[in-house]
Amino acid sequence: MTDPDRPPWPRRPDGDGHGAAVDGAPAEGGTRRTSPRIVLVHTATFRQARQLVPALIPLVAVIGLDDGLTAVVLLAAAITALSLGAAALGWWRFGYADGPGAVVVTRGLLARSVRTVPNDRVRGVEVETPLLHRVFGLVRVRVDAAAGSVGADQEELVIDGVLRAEGDRLRTRLLARRVPAGPAPTEDAAAEPAEEVFARFDNRWLLYAPLVGSYLVVPLAAVGTLFRFVDELPDGLVPDVAEPDLSDLRVLGVAAVVAVVLLALAAVVGAAVVNWRFRLVRRGGSLVSVRGLLTRRHTELEVDRIRGGTLSEGLGMRWVRAARVNALVTGLGQANRRGQLLPLGPRAEAEVLLRRLVDDPGPLVRHPPAARRRRLVRALASGLVAAALGGLATATLGWWWALAVGGALTVLGVPLGLGRYRALGHRAGPRSFTVRSGWLVREQAVLQRRAVVGWQVRQSLFQRRARLATVVACVGAGSGGYAAVDMAAGDVAGFTAAASSGSWAGTLALR
Amino acid sequence: MTADSAAPVRDPAWSLSRSAIGLWVTEGVLGALFYGALVGAFVLFVPVGGPVPVLRWVLPSLVAVYAVVAIGIRPWYRHRVHRWEVTEEAVYTLTGWLTRTWTLVPISRIQTVDVTRGVLQQLFGLATVAVLTASSQGTVRVWHLEADVAQRVADDLARRTELVRDEAT
Repeated sequence: MTDPDRPPWPRRPDGDGHGAAVDGAPAEGGTRRTSPRIVLVHTATFRQARQLVPALIPLVAVIGLDDGLTAVVLLAAAITALSLGAAALGWWRFGYADGPGAVVVTRGLLARSVRTVPNDRVRGVEVETPLLHRVFGLVRVRVDAAAGSVGADQEELVIDGVLRAEGDRLRTRLLARRVPAGPAPTEDAAAEPAEEVFARFDNRWLLYAPLVGSYLVVPLAAVGTLFRFVDELPDGLVPDVAEPDLSDLRVLGVAAVVAVVLLALAAVVGAAVVNWRFRLVRRGGSLVSVRGLLTRRHTELEVDRIRGGTLSEGLGMRWVRAARVNALVTGLGQANRRGQLLPLGPRAEAEVLLRRLVDDPGPLVRHPPAARRRRLVRALASGLVAAALGGLATATLGWWWALAVGGALTVLGVPLGLGRYRALGHRAGPRSFTVRSGWLVREQAVLQRRAVVGWQVRQSLFQRRARLATVVACVGAGSGGYAAVDMAAGDVAGFTAAASSGSWAGTLALR
Repeated sequence: MTADSAAPVRDPAWSLSRSAIGLWVTEGVLGALFYGALVGAFVLFVPVGGPVPVLRWVLPSLVAVYAVVAIGIRPWYRHRVHRWEVTEEAVYTLTGWLTRTWTLVPISRIQTVDVTRGVLQQLFGLATVAVLTASSQGTVRVWHLEADVAQRVADDLARRTELVRDEAT
C-alpha cells in the first residue's frame, strides 16, 4: 500500500513555501477556520438543525397546527433561530490545519474529534460549489483518504465553507505534495501543466436521459413525496379539484401520455443539472472532471492509481447504444460517484475513453452452451414455480389469474435468460483482461493485469454437473471483485494465468 | 481428484486435521438443539387447531433431517473437501460443501494476516488464519488449523510478505 522507501509522514519538499500568504492566514501548521459566511449558508439550509426534525415532529403533533398562521410563523422563526445558533456553534468549533505531513480537522461541540490524514494517504481532492456557496463565494473541499476497512463516511474529510481561493490552494497543495520525488513540485508546475481533453459533454446526449434508470428515479421520487405531502396536509388546505372521471378511457390515455412526457422532461432536466458542461481532462498525473449546473463539482483522480474501468449499459441505454464509464481506482471511497469518467454518452465514445485508460484486451469470448442452458433454467424456474402454485390455486380456489401470471412469468423468462446469457463473456489480452455480465445493467469491466490481488473460483453442484465455474477477479478497487459467470471449467486455469501479472496464478493449473 | 474433468482448477495439497470434524459435529449438534428448541416451543405453545396443522409434523421432521445431515454427514464431507496450501508465491484454499470455492491470493498482495480463535475452536485447539488483501472479496480464510500450525503459518506469511511486498493494490 504505502511505498516502503518513503516514511509515512514525508517532510515537506523545499521550495513549496506558498500558502501562508493567503488572506493573512496563520502560519504553517496553525489552525485555520472556515469563512464565517458559511454560518449564513448553513442557517439557510438548516444543515445542523436538520437533525432536530425527528424531535420536532412529535412536538408539532402535541401542540398542533390548528392555531393558524401565528403558530406556523412562530415555529418557523424558532427553527431559524435554532438553526442560526447551531450553525454558529458548528463554525466556532471547527478548525483545520494542513501541516507539513498531514491534514488535521478538529470539530465537535462537546466531544472534540480530531481527524488526521497523512498526506501520502490522500487519494483525491474534490472541490464542489453548491448554489448557495457560490452566492457567498465559498466552496466545499472533500479530502479523500485511502482507508481499507473503515466505513465509507470515515474515508473523507470535509472542509465546508472556505473561500474559493483557499479551496484551490488546498487542492493544489495537497495534490502537489503527493507527487512522488523528482524536482520539487512548485506552485507554477502544479497550476499550469499541459492539459489534454479526454471527454466533453455534448448536450445532445441529454436525450438519452429518459432511458436511464437513475435519472428516472429522481422525478418519480419527487412525485411520490408530493403525493405524500398532499395526503398529510389538513383537508382545508387542499384546493378542491374536481375528481377526473377515471372511467373514461380517453382521460386515462391522455393522462398517461402527459405523465410519460413530463417524466422524460424531468429526466432530461435532472441529467442536465448534474452533468452540465461536463469535461474530463488529464492534467499532469491526474484526471480532472468538472461538472454540474447548480453545484459545480471538481474531482481529481490520480492516474497512477487507476487500474481499469467499467462500461455499463442499462436496458434502455442499450436500445440507443448509450453507455457510461467509471474508473476503477484503488483506495477510492464512493467510487461510483467519484470515479465517473463519462456520465452518459454514445457507446462508441465510451469505448474510446475506456481504451485510453486501459489496453483493449480484444473481443469477448462467448461462454459455452451449457451456460445458456443454466441461465435459461434459472430465469424460467421462478415462473415455473409460480405457474405450478397457480395451477394448484386454480384447481382448489378457482383463482385462474394466478395460473395466468405464472404462465406470463415463464414466457418472459425466455428472453430474460437468453439476454443474460448474451451478456456473458471474458477475454484475457496481452496487458489487460475483461469480464462482462448483467442484464438490467450490463457491466463490462476492463482491468490491467496488475490489478488482480487474488482469484476466487466458485462451483455449485449444478455448475459441477454442467462443467462450468464462476471466476471472480479480486481487485482492490470498485466493488472489490469482478466475475466471469459460468465459464467452461476447462478454461479457468488458462484464463486466470493469462489475466494476472507474474506467475503466481499458475498455482491453479491442473496437474 | 485430477481425474475429474469437471474440476476447474487443481485442489490444494494439504487437508485439515481430524479435530475439525469434532468441531463441525459440535456445531451441528448446537444448531440442531437450537432449531429443536424452536420447533419444540412451536409444537407446545401453538394450539392444536393452529393456522396450518400440517406444520406440526413437517417442522419436527425437517429438524430431524437437518440433525442427521449436519451431525452425521456434513462434517465428514467437509473434511474431505476442505484443503489448503501455502506455496512459494501464494496462499491457496478450497472450502465449501455443496458449492465449492477455491481462493488464491499471491503473497505479494497480502496486506494483513490475522489469527483468530473462537470459543469452540479453543476447546478443540484450533485456530483460523485470515489473509486480507486490498480487495473486500480477496480474503482467504484457512479454517480450523491446529493452533500452533496456524501461528507458524501466520508468522511465516507475515515475514515473507515483508520481503516481496510491492504496491499490494
